[in-house]
Amino acid sequence: MDRILIVEDDPETAAAVAAEVRGLGCEPVIVTTLEEGVAAAPGDFKVIVLDRMLPGGDGVEAMARMRANGARAMILVLSALGRAANRVEGLEKGADDYLPKPFEPEELRARLRALLRRGTMQVLDNDLLAFGDLEIRMKARTVHIKRAHVAVSPKEFELISYFAQNAGQVVTRMQLLENVWNLHFDPGTNVVDVHVGRLRRKLEEAGSAAIQTARGEGYVFAPMAAK
Amino acid sequence: MSADRPLAARATLRLAALMAAAIMALSLGAMALQYRLVETRMMQAQENLLTASLNGFAALYDQRRIIALRQAIEYRAAASAGGEMLLLQDRKGAVLAGTETAWPTGVDPTGEGFTADHAVAFAKGDTRWLGVARILPGGFPLLVAHSLAPVDATLASLRRGMAALAAALLAAGAAVGWFAARGVMGRVNRINTLADRVAAGDLSARLPGPRSNDEFGLLETHVHAMLDRIENLNRATHRLSDTIAHELRTPLNRMTQKLSRIQGQEDLAEELKSEMRAAIRVFDSLLDISRAEADQGSGGGLVPVDLSAVASEVWDLYEPLAEDKGLGCTLSVQPGLRVLGDRNLIAQMLSNLLDNAIKYCAPGDALSLGLAEAADGHILTVADTGPGLPDTLKEDAFERFVRADRDIDRGIKGHGLGLALVRAIAARHGAKLVLPATEKGLTLEFHWPKLAAEA
Repeated sequence: MDRILIVEDDPETAAAVAAEVRGLGCEPVIVTTLEEGVAAAPGDFKVIVLDRMLPGGDGVEAMARMRANGARAMILVLSALGRAANRVEGLEKGADDYLPKPFEPEELRARLRALLRRGTMQVLDNDLLAFGDLEIRMKARTVHIKRAHVAVSPKEFELISYFAQNAGQVVTRMQLLENVWNLHFDPGTNVVDVHVGRLRRKLEEAGSAAIQTARGEGYVFAPMAAK
Repeated sequence: MSADRPLAARATLRLAALMAAAIMALSLGAMALQYRLVETRMMQAQENLLTASLNGFAALYDQRRIIALRQAIEYRAAASAGGEMLLLQDRKGAVLAGTETAWPTGVDPTGEGFTADHAVAFAKGDTRWLGVARILPGGFPLLVAHSLAPVDATLASLRRGMAALAAALLAAGAAVGWFAARGVMGRVNRINTLADRVAAGDLSARLPGPRSNDEFGLLETHVHAMLDRIENLNRATHRLSDTIAHELRTPLNRMTQKLSRIQGQEDLAEELKSEMRAAIRVFDSLLDISRAEADQGSGGGLVPVDLSAVASEVWDLYEPLAEDKGLGCTLSVQPGLRVLGDRNLIAQMLSNLLDNAIKYCAPGDALSLGLAEAADGHILTVADTGPGLPDTLKEDAFERFVRADRDIDRGIKGHGLGLALVRAIAARHGAKLVLPATEKGLTLEFHWPKLAAEA
């Protein structure tokens, strides 16, 4: 069973995170201070969920120490320092993902899942990603459904590539905005929905219902199940 | 900043030059006074000498008139070493005796006594003379004059000495001024460099080494005390915003977790969650505005950013939204224009602008984003043909929490922070915000300082 380290001083938050971790079939290990976290980090963990304003200091500042001690887990910073500037700072200092508090359980689950996958995933060097009728050619940057070419914009291609990397999993709007557009603020309006909607219509017109809405959570790319 | 340096150095040099000039003027004044005194005294001595000669001739004339005078002048002329000019003529102008063969020009006889009154200075050849010309009873013109050559020689050498002294003073003044200016500028530059570093965002910059025990040392101590205070205030501000974030978001987080456990009332829970997200956005915007304003003017944290690329990316994000609403969209971005900036902040600013425009425009309106290079910077233009800003609002629209009444009446949602954040982010980047007059809608122009092209 994969283990996930939770460095969090707020017991309720820690419990909520632990519940999500168990929901993913992993084993949570909770520590409440930064020092304990740094000491535990080199252990056999797949992901470290790290708070920032901890007794003993800032988690983001401690990431380098964790890495130096031999920690190889993916680090998800989960912090009340949630402004765009804080997020960019955290990512620049080596976090693999950054989720601001307050967080939706679904959002945390989607991100943990993505990190767990990234931790084990082979590098995608296949030129061809095939999902049944749907084919994505990475080098040519083209999408084909039932052998027919589907014209997508460069951004739509990046979008479908990101979906493909997380095929079968819920992907949230925030994840799309961060990973596809590299933007780390909440634009308020759901601009992402419009883009996903367009891509989805194109796929549907070509006969593939690959993108599904996960109500209240985001989207799921499930080309094989959609029949 | 560094362009001001030579001007500052000039101020010190000017002061030093002024002091040197004052000292020189005083010295030259004193020397001029002395010169006048010497000149007067020497002329007086010459006059005394002339009086003595005249008195001698007067005594002889009293005894045997012209004959004795003629003999005495002949004798004196023979013995003369050139320092005297004597001439006695008869009534027809023939020379009776003397050192001269003709009456010198420019000298008119006056009176007939042997007094030294009305002595005149006149020139003959290169030499100046001081003399008295008379017509003795019976019509005998008499000239008695003494050479002023020794006086002139003395005064000339005095003048040479003064000129040399003035030159030496000038050189010394310039040297002292230069050294003083250099010394002062060295000390001032230390502090200027420090100020530049602090302005560039390095609030913890300090001058190394011990303070000297003088006015500059005192100035450095004061500057350091000031910087300590600024640094503490800045740290306190950052700590405060972090603390607010922590204290607000932690309880909100617990609420969110509890909300997700509510069963059966998903719609209400979702509404509450979106209210909470809106509250966090308001409060993040406020913190972002404060932060951008606090960092304004400092280049700290800014890196070269491809403004063209960011503008195109954000445009790509919003264009479908605008198209879906029925707006006519135009993008005209000149590629490769770079500025010193924070990509995320710029994106946030553009996102606010485009989001606003889409929110207020009606189907059929036009929306455009332009970026072009001008002589004095990169000009970013966001223009729409929507309702524009109400005349009563204009500049006020960029203040926090200011919203147009008509929007509130129409029920358009917003917190009145969008444009305030736009202005703060523009100011953070040193971009000038201009509101050109338009016939319809709203046009915003941002004049970004150029980033020097990189190799």
